[in-house]
Amino acid sequence: MDNNRQGAKASYVALVFFTGLWLILPSAVRRFNREAFAEFQAPALHLVGKGRDLARYWELQSRSPEELVAAARDLARINAALELKIHSLDDARKENTRLREMLRYPQSTEFVTVVARVSVRETSSWWQRIIIRKGRSDGVRPGCPVVFGDRVIGRVSVVHLTTSEVDLVTSPGFRCTAFLEGDDQSRIVHVSGRAGLALSAPRAMVSIIPLDYNPPAGQIAKVMTTGLGGVFPSGLTLGTLEAGVQTTSEKHMQTGALTPAKELSFIQEVSVLIPKYPTAGEILLTPADAGKPEEFR
Amino acid sequence: MSLSWAWLFLLLATFPWLLGVDLLSDSVATSGVCLFISGAAIIAPCRRLRRWQAVLFSGCVGFLFESLRPIPDGSLALLLVLAAIYLTSHRDEIRDMPKMFWAAVLVNGLACTTWFIAAGLAHLKEVPLLSMHFLGQWLLHLLLATILAVLLLVPLALVQNFAMDKIGVPQPDEAA
Repeated sequence: MDNNRQGAKASYVALVFFTGLWLILPSAVRRFNREAFAEFQAPALHLVGKGRDLARYWELQSRSPEELVAAARDLARINAALELKIHSLDDARKENTRLREMLRYPQSTEFVTVVARVSVRETSSWWQRIIIRKGRSDGVRPGCPVVFGDRVIGRVSVVHLTTSEVDLVTSPGFRCTAFLEGDDQSRIVHVSGRAGLALSAPRAMVSIIPLDYNPPAGQIAKVMTTGLGGVFPSGLTLGTLEAGVQTTSEKHMQTGALTPAKELSFIQEVSVLIPKYPTAGEILLTPADAGKPEEFR
Repeated sequence: MSLSWAWLFLLLATFPWLLGVDLLSDSVATSGVCLFISGAAIIAPCRRLRRWQAVLFSGCVGFLFESLRPIPDGSLALLLVLAAIYLTSHRDEIRDMPKMFWAAVLVNGLACTTWFIAAGLAHLKEVPLLSMHFLGQWLLHLLLATILAVLLLVPLALVQNFAMDKIGVPQPDEAA
């Protein structure tokens, strides 16, 4: 046996020792290590995202002026319609605030919207996630809802300095309560991501559907957020309930598959909804009184 | 240039390849498969780097893959370190190209299996380890990891060898 192989024994012993040490190290050390390697990759992810944006820019540059004029005209029409809608919504908001004050009803969670571009999509059997180009420095916090328009995309799972990882609706770690369209009693169902099959579109699962629930005739039933739990605002679309709802083996509930509201694998831009004030969960997890705003003390 | 930092410069030279495979995974995101090359990326460096350098390089390659994915901390990195120790003490097993191909396929497949099982352990309630679903997914990922290792080993090794030549890392025959 040569010296090289004899030296390997010491290396194996060192590896076993290090593995043992790694297992008993405080989780903060492992988290720091993970964070350091994620930050190492962040500039490259930003570069990739910006490269895509540049490619899109040059693609748009190649469009004919007629096309751009037509697009601008359409946008102007949409803007005009939206301005009218904003006015009516503003009236409704004032009315809502007045009524809440009269009834001393707690204010619903208010959000600040941060628009973020998608850097990279990551899918596997065990996770479906995207990495966005906004992070801790932009105020993004773990648990923040991620939407596109009124459609739920997922939830921020890990936040780095300038990037964040978002668990998609179909990712196994995703959990949310929802209402089903067409259910007059507004009973709560449970939406959860599930480990996906490769080479097929990822889906989530809708469980605890009441036995007497019937989807609206001739329509695909929408699945919408309840607003309970304070993470997602109410009324956002999680997706649609697929046909073929099945009764559970205990025969007391039904389960079905959920098709996400947005084609998650092609999405390029999302909005992160950051609660203006810490959510109940964040307050519970914050040690002592640190970080709580005045009104929560 | 100090040879002590050879592993770091080599990591910087390898990183674009790892990122490129991540982008490839991105482009096939609808299919739900994760492409993987980190195992094959340690083969060429293990022929020429000193053992401690190869260990550091392999650990970093593993941690880079783990850092952006929900994989238990250290599972892949420690496996790659183990492979690096073995390969640097059995350099004759990666002496020529056919042997390097075998090593790349084996290490990449083993590393792919490790992260797949480690990540799957978190979902045992919904997908038992010994189910057809699990086995099918694992075989598909393993197949893709094997194919990628075969396809990308030569260009990857060329770039890594070029970087090691520039840094002044001794040739395989001279490496300790």
